[in-house]
Amino acid sequence: MATDIESRRDAILTAMVRVVGRKGYDPTSVADVIEEAGTSRTTFYKHFDDKHDCFLAAYERMVDQVFDTIVAECDGERPWVSRVRKGLETLIQIFALEPELARTAVVEVAAAGADARKLHWDAVNRFKGYLEAGRELEPGKELPEQISVMAVGAVSGLIFDELVAGRAEQLPELMPDLLFAMLVPYLGPGAAADEMRRAAQAA
Amino acid sequence: MVARSQRERALDAAVDVVAEKGYAATTVADLTREAGISRTTFYEMFPDKEACFLAAYDVAADVLARRVAAAFETEPAWPARARAGLEALLESLAEEPAIARLALVDFGAAGPAAQRRYRAALQRMTPLFDEGRDFAPEGRRLPPNTSRMAIGAVVGLIAEEIAAGRAEQLPGLLPEVLFATLSPYLGPEAAALAVAGER
Repeated sequence: MATDIESRRDAILTAMVRVVGRKGYDPTSVADVIEEAGTSRTTFYKHFDDKHDCFLAAYERMVDQVFDTIVAECDGERPWVSRVRKGLETLIQIFALEPELARTAVVEVAAAGADARKLHWDAVNRFKGYLEAGRELEPGKELPEQISVMAVGAVSGLIFDELVAGRAEQLPELMPDLLFAMLVPYLGPGAAADEMRRAAQAA
Repeated sequence: MVARSQRERALDAAVDVVAEKGYAATTVADLTREAGISRTTFYEMFPDKEACFLAAYDVAADVLARRVAAAFETEPAWPARARAGLEALLESLAEEPAIARLALVDFGAAGPAAQRRYRAALQRMTPLFDEGRDFAPEGRRLPPNTSRMAIGAVVGLIAEEIAAGRAEQLPGLLPEVLFATLSPYLGPEAAALAVAGER
């Protein structure tokens, strides 16, 4: 049955994300993944060439799922600052609830080769594009092209630090700082600090 | 001529071979061949490949941090100090693309100890940024993590360039990198002015 085959493939992809987040990409074996998925080696190789092939598919699916969740939560949020806050909050909640997913998404992806790094970079750009899309530009105001790279770089740097230190569950405490990091290239320090204070009070 | 010690040759080999093959594909045999040392000598110095890589990482991070700090000290005040430090960082990375890869790209493949080394190396760059807090009009209202954010923004700008094999072009990114550093403290307009004005 098609749905059954599909669900087995999905189970393998979910297992891949979890095991890599727990053990690291390099030490993860196909045996670990099929054990976690409760499936067989034959089933694994029916769907994937090898661990790397499976990881890339798992990463893409994970990005789609996280992104769909963010879009579902944020669409309709206005003004732009609320949309950014809601989007970051959603991302941080997903990471805090699923630390293994977070580690795979942000930290371990760097161990999986150039094509995996490309997927990570594409995901970052997608998130960036989504955030930029809701921004009402002040007429005549020009900001450097790279400004969203800075915002996302600052946010992902902070998240990376926390994950490497094993503090995924505590990420929501960092929400005011993350919001500041995201907004400051656009709004400047004063206005971004105001939003940060508001977020801290709301928490 | 001062001969490099066997340890130095092993560390250089780790930088070069990992930049060429990636961490996972690098073997101890690759390192001993590149360094021109015996397997026995290697294992007298390092328990495994990871230990050699981490030692190479420490040396690279030290060299970068010292160069950046020295450039930083040539200027009396922020933001000129930040500019000098960042310029030295970008030039150092451009001069040694293999070290740039090791420091900012390949560490990710080398496991949790290397990831912690990377964090620590970035942490050493915070003085470059922290003085911005005293300089900025809104300085006291900024979150304590502001320097970490600025570093993240800088790394976001340069890591993909290095991964794409464009480390040599990094000095050309100084305006963007400086803007990323200054804008959390000064705001986008003042940061853009400072970047343009201080040439």
